[in-house]
Parts: sequence; C-alpha cells; structure tokens
Amino acid sequence: MGTTIAPEKILKELSDLWVDSGKQAQTEGGTGVLRACSMTLLVLAEAAEDAQDLGETIAALMPEHPARAILVRLSGAGDRSMAERVYSQCWMPFGQRRQICCEQVEITVSDAALADLQSVVLPLTVADLPLIVWCRSQRLLAMPEFRAIAQMADKVVIHSASSLDPAALLERAHGAVGRGIMLGDLSWTILTRWREMLAQVFENHQNAAQVAKLAEIDVEWGGSRYVPALYLGAWIRDSLAAAGVNAKLQMSRVADDDDLGVKLTGDGIAVKLAREDDRMVVTLNGASQCTNLPQPTDYMLMREELRIVRHDPVFERTLASAVQLAHPIEQ
Amino acid sequence: MPIENPFQDPLRFERRVPECTVVIFGANGDLTKRKLLPALYRLAYDRRLSAGFAVVGISRTPMSDEAFREKMLESVKQFSEDTDFDENVWAGFAAGLYYVAGDIGDAALYQNLATRLEQIENERHTGGNVLFYLSTQPSQYARAAQGLGAAGVSKGKGWRRLVVEKPFGHDLASARELSDRLHESFDESEVYRIDHYLGKETVQNILAFRFGNGIFEPLWNRRYVNHVQITGAESIGVEGRGAYYQEAGALDDMIQNHLLQVMATIAMEPSATFRAPSVRDERSKLLRSIRPMTPEEVRQNTVPGQYGPASIGGKDVPGFRQEPGVDPKSQTNTYAGVTLFVDNWRWAGVPFYIRTGKRLAKRVTEISIQFNEAPLHIFDHDGAESAPNLLIVRIQPEEGISLKFLSKRPGSGMMLRPVSMDFNYGSSFGERSPSAYETLLLDAIIGDATLYTRQDMVEASWSVVEPIQNYWRGNPADFPNYPAGTWGPAAADAMLARRGHVWREP
Repeated sequence: MGTTIAPEKILKELSDLWVDSGKQAQTEGGTGVLRACSMTLLVLAEAAEDAQDLGETIAALMPEHPARAILVRLSGAGDRSMAERVYSQCWMPFGQRRQICCEQVEITVSDAALADLQSVVLPLTVADLPLIVWCRSQRLLAMPEFRAIAQMADKVVIHSASSLDPAALLERAHGAVGRGIMLGDLSWTILTRWREMLAQVFENHQNAAQVAKLAEIDVEWGGSRYVPALYLGAWIRDSLAAAGVNAKLQMSRVADDDDLGVKLTGDGIAVKLAREDDRMVVTLNGASQCTNLPQPTDYMLMREELRIVRHDPVFERTLASAVQLAHPIEQ
Repeated sequence: MPIENPFQDPLRFERRVPECTVVIFGANGDLTKRKLLPALYRLAYDRRLSAGFAVVGISRTPMSDEAFREKMLESVKQFSEDTDFDENVWAGFAAGLYYVAGDIGDAALYQNLATRLEQIENERHTGGNVLFYLSTQPSQYARAAQGLGAAGVSKGKGWRRLVVEKPFGHDLASARELSDRLHESFDESEVYRIDHYLGKETVQNILAFRFGNGIFEPLWNRRYVNHVQITGAESIGVEGRGAYYQEAGALDDMIQNHLLQVMATIAMEPSATFRAPSVRDERSKLLRSIRPMTPEEVRQNTVPGQYGPASIGGKDVPGFRQEPGVDPKSQTNTYAGVTLFVDNWRWAGVPFYIRTGKRLAKRVTEISIQFNEAPLHIFDHDGAESAPNLLIVRIQPEEGISLKFLSKRPGSGMMLRPVSMDFNYGSSFGERSPSAYETLLLDAIIGDATLYTRQDMVEASWSVVEPIQNYWRGNPADFPNYPAGTWGPAAADAMLARRGHVWREP
C-alpha cells in the first residue's frame, strides 16, 4: 500500500472508465451508457466491515440516488498508508435499452493518514451537487479528524444507536446541529413508519378530538433500541406539548432483544403501537389492526435520509429533547 | 373546523389521506378490474390509505360482499404491476370492500347505497366522506348523478366528490348538457373529470421542468420556438373495440382530451401558485386561446386518416374496415393530424402540430419543441450540417427529456454533428413511479383537483375540436389513406411541408 493518493489520477481513471464503458456498450450493440449523478456519497467504514454487504447496500441505493460514491475504508492503526481503486456500478433499467452507470471510488486509509483525507476527498466531490457523508465508524465519530470531514459535507448521517456511549454521541450530534451542520440519524429514521402510523390514528376526526385527553406516554425499549426510544418519547411529548397537552412520559427497559413499543393513554382513549415480527400492530381502544413493517435495513434507512438534503426541524427539535432525556435515564 | 393533528411531519410522511368510502359504479367492468382496484390496493400496500377506508362496488350482477372480495382478489393478483401480493395487506384492505347490486336507473339502488354507507360509516369511521367514481357507460353518468342527488346521498356529513371518466360529451352542446345534469346534484367543485394522461409522472414533470427552472422559460415563446409537435401514437389497432371506436375516432378519443391537455400544460402561462384553481385557470386560459378554425382552415390544417391492411414484420394485419364490428364503409378517423395556433402574445404564429393514431409505426407519446436555428451558419457554408435544436419531452415509453444540439466532431476541421443530452426519468429516479390512477385517486381523496379537468376546460377543448368534427363529417375522406405500421397519411406530411416543417420520427 502506498502513502499518497493523487486526486487528479483518480479523476483521470474515472474519465477513462466512462470512455471504456461507452465503447464496450456500443460494441455490444447497445446505445452507450447514461451517466447519472445527483450527489457525492462519502461512506466512512471500518476495513473490518463486510465489504460485500456494504457494497450491496451502496449499489442498491444508486438507482434511486445516483451518486459518485467514495467508500473510505479505515484500516486502523499502523503506518501511514493510503490506496485507491475506481470502478463503476452499472445497471440496465427494466424495459430500457441503455445502461445506467455510477462511479465508485474506494480509498483505504490508515489512522495516521486520516488528516490527509479531506484534501483527497474534496477534489473528488462532484461540483454543484451535495456531498453526503455517511459515517458508519463509531470510532471515527469520536476522532478529531472527523470534524474536518463533517465540515465539508452538506449533510452528515450517523447511527447513534450503534454507539457504545449513545448519550455522549447524542450530545455531540446536538452540538454539531448547533454549529449549523445538517444531520441525519438512522436511529431517528427507524421511527418514521412508527410515527406515521401514530399520526394516522389521529387523522380520524373522532380520535383527533381525543388528543386533549391524552395524559400518559409509556415507551418500552430493549436491546439497541435505547436511542430510538428516547427519540420516540421526546417526539410524542413535544408534539403533544405543542398542541397544549402536557402528558407524562414514562420510559422503561423491558427486555434484551431489540424491542420497542409505545402506549398513549387518557380518559377514554388508549393507543398502543408494537412490533410483531414484520408487522406493526396498532391497537386503538382494544381493537387491533396490522400493517407491514419490515425490519429496517441500512438500505431502507439511507434511502430515506438521502431524500432529505435540508434541515429537518422536527428531528432537530427532538434531538435537543432527547439529549435532555438521556441523562436522567439509566440504561 | 378540523382539529389539527399534532403528530404530522410533512417532510417525512406521505401526504395526509383522510378516511373515506370510494363508491365505484361499474364495479364489474374492465376499468375497475384492471386499473382502479389494483391502484387502490397499491395505495394500501404503500400504507397511503387511512384505517377508515372502504370501497363499495356497484353493478347489476347480484353478488355478496365475499364474492366481490374474491373477484377483486383475482383482479389485484392479475393486474397489479410492480407490486408484490401481500396476504396481510390484502386481508386488511379486503375487510373494507363491500358490494351493492342494482340498476343505475332504479331508485332502490340509491336507497340501499345510503343505508350501506351509513352502516360503513359506523363500522369503519369513514367520517361521512364519500368519493363516487363513475366507471360506467358515459350514457349512465347523468342518471347516476341524479340518482345520488334524489336519494340525498350527494350531500352528507363529510365531503362528497364525483369522479367522471371521459368522454365528457361528444360535442360542445352535449358536454354542456352533461355538466348541467351533474350540477343538479354536485357543485362543480365536487366534480372531478379524470384525464389519466395528466396523472402521468412525466406530464406532471413538465410543470416542474418549466416552472422549477429558470433557464427554460425565457426561451419558451415565439421568439425562440419555431414550432411544437405533439405525438400520441399507438402501434396497436382497435383490439376488439372496433364498435366503440367507430363512434369515437382519434380526434375525439385522444386530441379533444389527452393531447389538448398536454398542449395546455406545455404552453400555459406560469401559474402564480401550485394550487388547483391557479393551475387550472392557466390551463383553461390557454385552451381558450387556441384559435377555432373556419372550414377553409380546417381543410388546410387538419388531416383525417384511417389505416388499411398491411403486413407488419411478416404478419398480416387487417385494415380498420376489416376489424370485427366495424362498418366496411366506416368514415371513422383512426388518425388525426391538426395544426393549431394559440392567439396570445407568447405563441402568436407558432404552429402546434398534433397527431395521434392507431396502427402507427410505434407506440410513443412525446412533445418535441423545435427551436429556431442559429441566425448565421458560420461553420457550414452549404447547410449540410445544420440541424435545429430540439427539446423532446417523452411521456411514454422511456419517460424523460432530451436536448439535441450540435457539437464538433472529434478530429481536425470544424465538422459538426448533432448530439443528444438525455435525462431519463426512470433511471435518474430508480424508484417506482405511481400509476396515473394511483396519483389521481389519491388526489381526489385528498381533494386536490390540480390534475383534473374543469368544465370550462372541457368546453374550450370542444370549441377547438367541434369545427374539425363538423368539417370532416361533411366532407367524407377517401379511406383508407395509410397502411398499418406507417407514420400516417401522406397528406399529414404535406400539411407540415407547406410551412417548411417535417414530422419527427421518434
């Protein structure tokens, strides 16, 4: 492995890649390739992570969010080293004659060379399009070099539930939002369907009329669902407070598996949301209804986050409340 | 006053869908089986429908709720494209399916329906909201609306809306009469005239393309646009619908509604807001600005056509007059080509060529905007390399937008060649696009009429089409005048040639 990378060389390789792909598609009787790009996606992951798994997730994201994907694999301690390779990710849309291709760059970097990463990545970003940083490495999140990387980004996506010290990470995330960084947290994204189902219960005018009666919120969580539970509790409490309803929030740990459930109760109304395998069960005053709720995958969560390249006021408010909630609650 | 839902998050959640009952007249028909139920099931699959959602199917055949559910299950399994069948989703959806048998002309049907709606409202808390969908023979529209009105079902505790499929009359007078009859039971604001072309993602994208970007609108006028071609071509014939098609023809079936709506979308003035009244006002204004033709202008600026037999790819295909159920001397137009002019400051003098037909060379719907050539050809002294800039909006298939312009050929010397810059809708956004019926049904349930046609738009369209209808009826053509599998009659080429233009062959 070398110790330096020249971004110009990578850009030249990317350019050659397009010429080769175009020639190849034409010799195969096609009509050339279409280059699609809507962003630069910088993925920061530990080298020990399953490369194939991560590659499949990135590939799955490309049709909907075509991007120049730069995968940085962190090789950890050791001598200062950097290496790169470029390749393309192509697919043939159903019923169409032309291949669509996206560019991918893979950079392997040791901790000692991390300080140089910004200078390598910056020239590789696609001009005029957003740079989204998806940091999968909890180790890197805690390192000072991460701040410089985050500063380049239009949006940073983390997964706070994977952290060994989620409360501390939430606090740092809140600080980053305070500095104007646009942030996404997959632990919040996990909740979108939950929140949507809860909102749907109160789309019914009869149920909406009962909102003022809600007095208690009980959130139960287990395993790695601590952060989502914090978010869910904080969001429900804040949403009700904004409507002038002060409900008491109770949070409790129930089991070791990745469990989450919420119950809202008041005079004459009880709403419960719980997961059962791949379904969500919504129970309103004893009557249950099921809906699909597939187990969240990184692909599903990132797909949603990549759609939102703007500040998310509901998330940012909830993050602030979750930070406050995190400290009194013992994990 | 509606109570605000404190849990809404518009940035992340899909649009809010109120609880309601959709009542489908013609529940045994093809449209219900192929389009409506699969679209509603897909909305349920995507969790877009509220818990208090129900469907009531109506047709003459006696059937239990359970039998109706079974029948719809088959339709959903057979006609749902790009959607996995999920037993759990179906079970929840099917629990809200009901059926009422009866004749549209029979008052008892509406009394039974009223009773059923009340029962469903109590069971499923639909809030009294009802969307009536007329998927019947057009001759039944007025009768169904009157029946609903007479039984008091057209008004109620929640909102009531009426969705009507085309054709909206067969000429201006009948369109007005139909509207008058519908208005006896429903306000115009409650009538949703559906034109599924407007529900297509790419037609909606025209609005995004024109009014979401700053660079195109300055070019979008008579100073820069030479002419516009709108093509709605089908490669298939009438496919067993000869008897129906004989009454309609290409002009009424496609141009009066779909293609004039597409033209209105491409040529309308910018709307002040993206709210239904504002967008519809602009569409309507454009349609009213299309110059109606005198008989002499119809003779010069329109071409009717009818396909004759031909061999396509080694397979013999019949001419229209040989199709089952078609009069061997039929004067029905299976092709219509028209040249329209818009009398406003933006488009004065710019020809809009519209063509549509059955059994044309390929299936394609597109808009091609041809810009004026560069004022001076400095690279090309003999004119051999000149090619106009074209902006092509492809509606189907391979939805997208292409810009054609000249570029230098690699190598020494200054030789130019046209190149294409493509935006492909399906590949740039890999996610599945909702079907036109999903979009339009959801819009109607939400109460967004932006993509629906208003009475004044229908009347304006008929005002454009009626003089053509009248002239064609009074001057029988020498049919057939194009072989199946070609781009239409030679007269249509001549129509453009008179202004120095040629049809694009997509």
